[in-house]
Amino acid sequence: MAIAAPAIDTAPPRPRRAANFDSTWILWIAIIAVLLFLVVSPFVYLVVTSFQAEDTGVFTLMNYATAYGRARYIDALLNSLKLGAAAAALAGLFAVPLAWAVARTDMPAPGLTRMLVLATFITPPYTGAVAWILLAGPNAGWLNRFYMLATGAEAGPFNIYSFTGLAIVIALYSFPYIFIFTTAALELVSSEMEDAANILGAGPWRTMRRVTLPLALPAILGGLIICFLEAIALFGSPAMIAIPARFNVVTTQLFQFFGNPVRVEVAAAYAMPLLGVTVLLVLVQRLITRRKGFVALTGKGGERRPILLGRWRWAMFGYAMIVASLAVFLPYIFLVQSAFAKAWGRGFALDNVSLDNFRFVLFEHATAAQSVINSFLYAGASATIAVFLTLGVAYIAARRLVPFGGVLGFLCVAPFVIPGVVLAIGFYAAYAPPTLALYGTALILILAFTTRFLPVGYVNASAAIRSLNPEMEEAVRVLGGSRLTALRRVVAPLLKRNLLGAWLLIFIPATRELSSAIFLYGPSTKVASVMIFDMSEEGNFERLAALALILQVLTLPLLWIGQKALGRDFMLRRNAT
Amino acid sequence: MKRLGSLAVLCVLALAPVAARADIAKLAEDAKKEGELTWYIAHYTSEGAEDLGRGFTEMYGIKVNVVRTTAQVAYQRLLQDLKNNQTICDVFSSTDVGHYVRLKAQGRFDKYLPENAAKIVPAFRNVDPDGFYHATSAGLVTLTYNTAKVKPEEAPKKWEDLLDIKWKGKVSTGHPGFSGYVGTWVLTMKKLYGWQYFEKLEKNKPQIGRSINDTVTALNAGERQVAAGADGSTLFSAARGNPLAVSYPTDGAVLIIAPSAIMKGTKHPNAAKLFMEYLYSVEAAKINAKHFGIPLRPEVPAPPGAKPISEVKTVRPTVEEISKGIPEVIEQWRDTFGN
Repeated sequence: MAIAAPAIDTAPPRPRRAANFDSTWILWIAIIAVLLFLVVSPFVYLVVTSFQAEDTGVFTLMNYATAYGRARYIDALLNSLKLGAAAAALAGLFAVPLAWAVARTDMPAPGLTRMLVLATFITPPYTGAVAWILLAGPNAGWLNRFYMLATGAEAGPFNIYSFTGLAIVIALYSFPYIFIFTTAALELVSSEMEDAANILGAGPWRTMRRVTLPLALPAILGGLIICFLEAIALFGSPAMIAIPARFNVVTTQLFQFFGNPVRVEVAAAYAMPLLGVTVLLVLVQRLITRRKGFVALTGKGGERRPILLGRWRWAMFGYAMIVASLAVFLPYIFLVQSAFAKAWGRGFALDNVSLDNFRFVLFEHATAAQSVINSFLYAGASATIAVFLTLGVAYIAARRLVPFGGVLGFLCVAPFVIPGVVLAIGFYAAYAPPTLALYGTALILILAFTTRFLPVGYVNASAAIRSLNPEMEEAVRVLGGSRLTALRRVVAPLLKRNLLGAWLLIFIPATRELSSAIFLYGPSTKVASVMIFDMSEEGNFERLAALALILQVLTLPLLWIGQKALGRDFMLRRNAT
Repeated sequence: MKRLGSLAVLCVLALAPVAARADIAKLAEDAKKEGELTWYIAHYTSEGAEDLGRGFTEMYGIKVNVVRTTAQVAYQRLLQDLKNNQTICDVFSSTDVGHYVRLKAQGRFDKYLPENAAKIVPAFRNVDPDGFYHATSAGLVTLTYNTAKVKPEEAPKKWEDLLDIKWKGKVSTGHPGFSGYVGTWVLTMKKLYGWQYFEKLEKNKPQIGRSINDTVTALNAGERQVAAGADGSTLFSAARGNPLAVSYPTDGAVLIIAPSAIMKGTKHPNAAKLFMEYLYSVEAAKINAKHFGIPLRPEVPAPPGAKPISEVKTVRPTVEEISKGIPEVIEQWRDTFGN
């Protein structure tokens, strides 16, 4: 202190500015500290832990030897890669034709298709997986039963408990990513190019194949990569389907390393390839989508007319409805049946209908109702922190208030490359043990969720800030207000709708987050997704379906608010970043 | 002298319940101040566990946080708690006796001898001579089947019948990496028939769930027809009208005696002790019997339809065999079945 005081005295040239910046600087430093805490430190801990001996903390390579020392563990890695590739390819098959039809053709009811894609998008993958167990269980699954009824065969052809089954289920609930990317790109392709092809004698199909699709290719590839990453990072669906199907993937193997004995160090070592693959592919994806600047995408010029499909428009509509049936109609019919059934296998008989599952979940189960409340509380806290934090960072970066503001922005989007499971292990290694001893607290979940969804918040916030003219804030400053006043009284009110939208974009997925929660929750901080996972242990699909439906129904009003504030597609825009 | 002795015994017998009741009343008073306890429980189905927890709350007004999972998951969470120096769990009830051997050796338990311990069926007394953990539930792993698809005379009669090719694609089991019941069953089969038993079982492509109670779901849904299941959860479900039955294997149903213990450093020591007393009470035994568990108190009759335990041929590995053997068979299982 005694030394610092003269230092200020000897810096006379800009005393007034220093005074002005005083309070704001503290805030900036706080934001940097928070980002270090949320993003950098768990990541560093993850890497360091993977090289530490369990009790002594001495440097060792043994964790890597253990993690890759068994054929079964290596198989799990390869399975994940295969699963990612298969799921992404299937998702492409579902998404690209739909995207093309919705964006570029006169297929009937494109709004309906969009709505159904949105419905798919807000269905948590594990809920979809459970529904598909009801649909395609090898003997009792409804599809098999209908098949046997129709053909008189002894057995049905569908088996959810297989690699293919798992890949299809994952694809069904991740294809919206590709759909979003692809429609966005196709909507920018001007009809003139297609006209040129037509004039030169190409029919609509040939035009699509040779002109339209190649123009959208970077976007499609970007979407495929996101699906691949989503598939290899997923925990819930593999845990429910791959165990009976008898194979392991990275995430279920990671969960085993948290078993008996708890080997966080080995888990950290085993998580490295997942992290590596993700970083690599996200870089590739960025590279591809950045190069999408064919002439076609130069701006608003050019006219866009829907391609007339003739009688094919109904075929296309049929395909859209088939995909929607697989992802939405069939699963929800049987989820609802199951939730209201005494035993789901008994079917639609009236004497099988009961409200007991809802009663048990809501009133008799000691923790199920609380778990839903926890989910909403934690998601709310995370969304609030993330929105204001990223608003601050985006503001700093956009107005260049500190040197290296871009670094802060980078830190906000960096968690995008960390799969939820890996992030959770990093958080566990960093903050569960003393000194912070956050194990089993609500705080560790809130912080992990915040970190996980920082990129969503940041992309929204920085887009919003860039849309503001700095003059308005300067007016505040000229009138003697501080930057904080400007932020509070001008920026925040102007961006109200944006902030609300971003908040919902974080809140909704955070209420169903499983892959990071499964490693971080404690007995009193159980969230709904973990509760659903626990229920699947006993195969209590009726109650599980009831809880999953409660969670979905609670989401609907939020979705409605979001659409009011931000327009129809707001949820679908989340990942178009 | 003899007469004097028996008089003394009579006196003790006459006084003991009074003394015990007084103690429990005092315990209940102290426990109420603590208000709640957390119970990691693998013994029952979710419903059974919630029912037992609610029974305690109704008796004493103390809230029970019922955390029902499979045994290995409960143990996994407990180990994580311990590793992070957290005592969240007050009473730990697993179905894998091995957990108790290890935790006791590490000094993780509080020693407590329930007053009611002397009142339970003698066979279940004194599982730990040092009194750190106590048997609080018992059940059997038996052959079970779907009666709508399998006639009683066709149902498997002994364990090796599950290997019959006619059950290909029709067998259901739990997973030893999750369930303590399944782990003990796997260990027993290995002991009786060698690991070949499971290599042959694998050829029948069983559907592997996690909890042993998952077999009930698989049979009910018609997903599978025969299973290695728990008698309690199967009979409970059958009593509610589902097409299920138990076939007691002639080579021995696997008897599981599942203990409970109080964790050292518990924040609710009196509630935990009271809860241990409660688990040995007639009230708890009744709830247990309602869910088709074997009642520990002789006053409570065996659940309807279940064979009295005295008439069932049972097999049971020793505590040492379980403690050493289950981690081994989990690995073997994963090698044979792929996960």
